[in-house]
Amino acid sequence: MKIKTAKKTGDPPPFASKPMRTVLLSCFLVLLLHQGASATSISGNSTTILRMREGMDDKNLFPLYEYLHLSASDTTKNGAISLEIGGWGRVDLGDRSFEHREEGDIQYGFLSYRANRNNFRVDAGRQWVVEGVATERIDGLSLRSDLAAGFTAAAFVGSPVVTQPNFNDGDLIYGGRLAHSVPKYYTIGISALRDEASPDAVREEEGIDLWLHPIAMVDISGRSTYNSLSDGWMEHFYTASVTPTDSLRFSASLQNVHYDDYFYHVTTSALSLTNGIILPGEEMWNAGGSIGYNATKSIAVSAEYNHYEYDIAGNADYYGATGSFGTAAGLAAGVSYHRMDGSTNRLRYNQYRVWAAQKFGPIDVALDFFDVDFDRSINGRENTFSLAGAAGYDLTPNLRVAADLDYIRSADFDNELRGLVKVTYAFGIGKEGK
Amino acid sequence: MKKIALLALMPLMLSLLYACANTTSVARVHPEEVKGLPRCAECHTGQWAALNHQAQDFYLKHKFYAAQQREACSACHKESFCVECHAHKEEILPSDKYKERPELALPHRGDYLSRHRIEGCINPASCLKCHGRQNNERCKSCHK
Repeated sequence: MKIKTAKKTGDPPPFASKPMRTVLLSCFLVLLLHQGASATSISGNSTTILRMREGMDDKNLFPLYEYLHLSASDTTKNGAISLEIGGWGRVDLGDRSFEHREEGDIQYGFLSYRANRNNFRVDAGRQWVVEGVATERIDGLSLRSDLAAGFTAAAFVGSPVVTQPNFNDGDLIYGGRLAHSVPKYYTIGISALRDEASPDAVREEEGIDLWLHPIAMVDISGRSTYNSLSDGWMEHFYTASVTPTDSLRFSASLQNVHYDDYFYHVTTSALSLTNGIILPGEEMWNAGGSIGYNATKSIAVSAEYNHYEYDIAGNADYYGATGSFGTAAGLAAGVSYHRMDGSTNRLRYNQYRVWAAQKFGPIDVALDFFDVDFDRSINGRENTFSLAGAAGYDLTPNLRVAADLDYIRSADFDNELRGLVKVTYAFGIGKEGK
Repeated sequence: MKKIALLALMPLMLSLLYACANTTSVARVHPEEVKGLPRCAECHTGQWAALNHQAQDFYLKHKFYAAQQREACSACHKESFCVECHAHKEEILPSDKYKERPELALPHRGDYLSRHRIEGCINPASCLKCHGRQNNERCKSCHK
């Protein structure tokens, strides 16, 4: 069994180390694909958040955040080209809340072209690629298109966008997926990815994914993923649901994880095979099921059960029930109880939740109570809870102010009071921007 | 020589396969405004009918749908929707951002700092997709 250790990565490959190439490629795509716009839309969303809480050592924390999302699109007779950008920034008005007094992140920023035919799509820039085994944020390029005879192909290449607190990631990631579909009945796909720290690979994964819909009431989906570097199956995860009537749904899931292969490459020691928590050689089976029933249009109930089985650690069960109630008059409420039943006292607790929300025209209010009762105390405390009250007011259809207060009694804080004020403004021009 | 010929033929073959596909793209923007948690089967049949956002297992299954038919998700959800939870770097929990929306299935409600020690032991695989390579800078304050 090979355990990955931190290492200094080499020089990145020429493609991955030059985000400028992505920008140039984006400009090239604009020139190539822009054939005279017939409809331009610009839309955006700004959320300003002021948080108020007490930190460790009686620090008074007042971090102020600005989240901004912008989208601009042009539609032509052949398709649409759009620019999507989103990110956030934070400044501390009080004591330092994180490592730096100012922080920010570009979450995504890409240029996209989508054709009206064949689901053809090209994205260039910082984007989130979700294709079979790949769930990656990259600075790069992705393509997707339908092909003949029910086939679909996708490919991506770029530099992985990761946070690296403990271990380095690769410099170049690429992969793709090929799938075949008969739209009403099934989709089956094969996919692969490779993440390199030149010249070696730090991740090499292949997988098969499927969606089966043999009859209207049955829906099966899942994925199996293989790690070529450790030569083992990382995960098998399949779910099935049967809906005999509109109001009744049975579902089941089965998951199998081999820790050596699944946790083979991460960038945080919290999830590494060397931290003493994630046990090398462990294998987990998780089998579960749930029943959902809509008693009336207003009342829904569900019950779920999950059984966890391990090679090394003891077994665990997680089960519970949820009930929810909603009316056309704007009232929504719910109650739930869940039990985590592990093999040791440390892995046992009861979890209770009650919540309610009501809308009165432009005003809405909500209450949320969440209680966890541990069988064995954590930091000398057996019961922890949070009680949150929130209210919002729609000043206009586009401008909203909301605030909440959250009282928490946790294993780490005796009496913690947190507050948050949020101003959201949506704006836009054009057909899609409204 | 054979390799060069094959490489030269590949773009031609792909172009041919693309030209023969002749499918209509999924609408980039859903033609009707959808509010709340939709039950797509109310209007759709076939593959879209399975996307019942009110089903008790939708939260569990949505990753499979997204990895297979993201163009369907994109008809209603912009990128800004996905990054609320699937973030590269984030300092505010989704459940803290939307306290006024208690009906949403958002992860890490309540005092999760205490509970993650337990849930992390029960099924650490569920943590990896969001925190294995992203959004994990705060982990190092305890996990050296």
